[in-house]
Amino acid sequence: MAVVSPSETVNKGRSDLIAYATLSLISIFCAVPFFWVLLASLDGDAQLFLHWPEQWTFANYVRVFTKEDGAKWLFNSLFVVGSATLLVMVLSGLGGYALSRTRAWWKLPFLYAILLIRVLPPTALVVPLYKFLLTLNNAEAAVLRPIFGHYARDIMRWTGFIDGYLGLILVLATMQLPLALWIMKTFFDGLPRDYEEAALMDGATLIQRIRRVLIPLALPGLAAAGLFAFMSAWGDFLLPLIFLSSPELQTLPLGLFRAFLRINEIDYGLLTALAFIYLLPAVIAFGFARRFLVQTFSGCVKG
Amino acid sequence: MARNSHERRAERQWLLILLPSLVLLLAFVIYPAIYSIYLSFTNEALTGAAALRPRFVGLRNYTRLFNDAKFWNSLFVTFVFVIGSAVVGQFALGLISAIALRRPIRFRRVFSSIILLPNAAPEVVAGFMWISMLAGGDNATLSRIVSTFGITPADWLQVFPLSMIIVVNTWRGIATAMILLTAGLSTIPAEIYEAARMDGATPSQMFRRITLPLMMPTILLYMLISAVSTIAVFGLVYALTRGGPGGATEVVSIYIYNQSFTSFQLGYGAAVAVVALVISLVLGIAYVRAMKVEV
Repeated sequence: MAVVSPSETVNKGRSDLIAYATLSLISIFCAVPFFWVLLASLDGDAQLFLHWPEQWTFANYVRVFTKEDGAKWLFNSLFVVGSATLLVMVLSGLGGYALSRTRAWWKLPFLYAILLIRVLPPTALVVPLYKFLLTLNNAEAAVLRPIFGHYARDIMRWTGFIDGYLGLILVLATMQLPLALWIMKTFFDGLPRDYEEAALMDGATLIQRIRRVLIPLALPGLAAAGLFAFMSAWGDFLLPLIFLSSPELQTLPLGLFRAFLRINEIDYGLLTALAFIYLLPAVIAFGFARRFLVQTFSGCVKG
Repeated sequence: MARNSHERRAERQWLLILLPSLVLLLAFVIYPAIYSIYLSFTNEALTGAAALRPRFVGLRNYTRLFNDAKFWNSLFVTFVFVIGSAVVGQFALGLISAIALRRPIRFRRVFSSIILLPNAAPEVVAGFMWISMLAGGDNATLSRIVSTFGITPADWLQVFPLSMIIVVNTWRGIATAMILLTAGLSTIPAEIYEAARMDGATPSQMFRRITLPLMMPTILLYMLISAVSTIAVFGLVYALTRGGPGGATEVVSIYIYNQSFTSFQLGYGAAVAVVALVISLVLGIAYVRAMKVEV
């Protein structure tokens, strides 16, 4: 008998009130720092301190692209992180499919290994990684220089392993691979096998199966894997800090960090506009990823 | 017979399409991890005589490590950082948020979106936001807030550096805790609470006798995941304090970076890295076992 007594409704109202109060407090804690970036970036007289702008302006955003190299940084970030994300989607789509369907002996060791790889702190890997990439880079330069002469430098900017797009893209992608492979493997585990087994029996080749089975069915999984890879690579600061040095290749986190280091002349309007430009794609991606968040984490919980 | 040959061909193809991922992981994760063990036994450096001709020095880096007060300090700072932000801060606020958001109240989506927001902020942006919040001077946000309660403002990052990076990392990770713990809460059947209510249990009794015990596996998993990811935090602390003042916030990842790329002592930095790798791996193995992976 579900009879609600008066005292219970009072209790319920009071607990709701407590819930509202605590959630409001936590939300304020979470949101206030964002107000500074948003308000200061639109302020003609931006300060380090949170205050309501007296003169609203878009000039800070304009200056990011005219006075500073904002456009270049944004392009570099989008190009590097975008390429890494695409690479992760392709590799994890194929690899996750294989990991889900195979019955080979290496399946279990490989899955354990990618779980353990995820716990290794990147800072503990960058020193040997730097030395290894430097060796690759020198070897590549030794091959390219005799062939292309002084054009080799321009080519190395794209294909170099240190201070080149290629190296950063590969390393960024590799760091996102374990989670992406895990997401895709779990995703394919949930797809029925009948359709592809029929295709297999009909003698479909691997390429045919990938085109007809994998690509159309895997899109939702790939979207999740891609979003997580994008968000993590977009926010990463350590890898560009270590593997990039020339100004032409600077990405947003580096440009932002260096702009903040000019201690005597920090331009807070410019800085916060830059921060907001850097923040926006991350927040948009997070908005899209929201519905996958629970699945990904609860997938971890259930195992 | 036909099926067997089909299967064997299929197995070869599975390995083939997994190969690119395998190569990348071997080249850029496994090999560097092993290489760092080798480096830790040499006097490898970025500049100077040792850079040209690195030598094998046996356990010298490790004996130096053992007697290095700065190394022990960085381990201690990391420990406090992990306990303060992951085990206490994020967990407490995440659990409170998860429980409050289970009630059928209005604006649930708004609240949860706002709580998720800090998780989306790139490390450097998060760092700068909090430099603004915690700056010295009476105008800074935190100083203005506390002075309404009659507390004297301070240059927070200078006076309470470790506590402040714990606050900031807590801020950033409430979302992860909330999501995981929400998933854990949703696995507890509502009938158990109904039955307890019939028996006249109070909310706090229900929390201690039902919620906490049934949530224990989720909580354990959360603790391991968040401990491991907090040990790896670099950019956020680097943007906020770069390990200072005076090593007060020099977590292990910053110590490794400083030894390798500021002091250019790659061999010694690698020894510190090996310690960090071992600690993370031990936690990781505990995590994988607790997860009871079924594949």
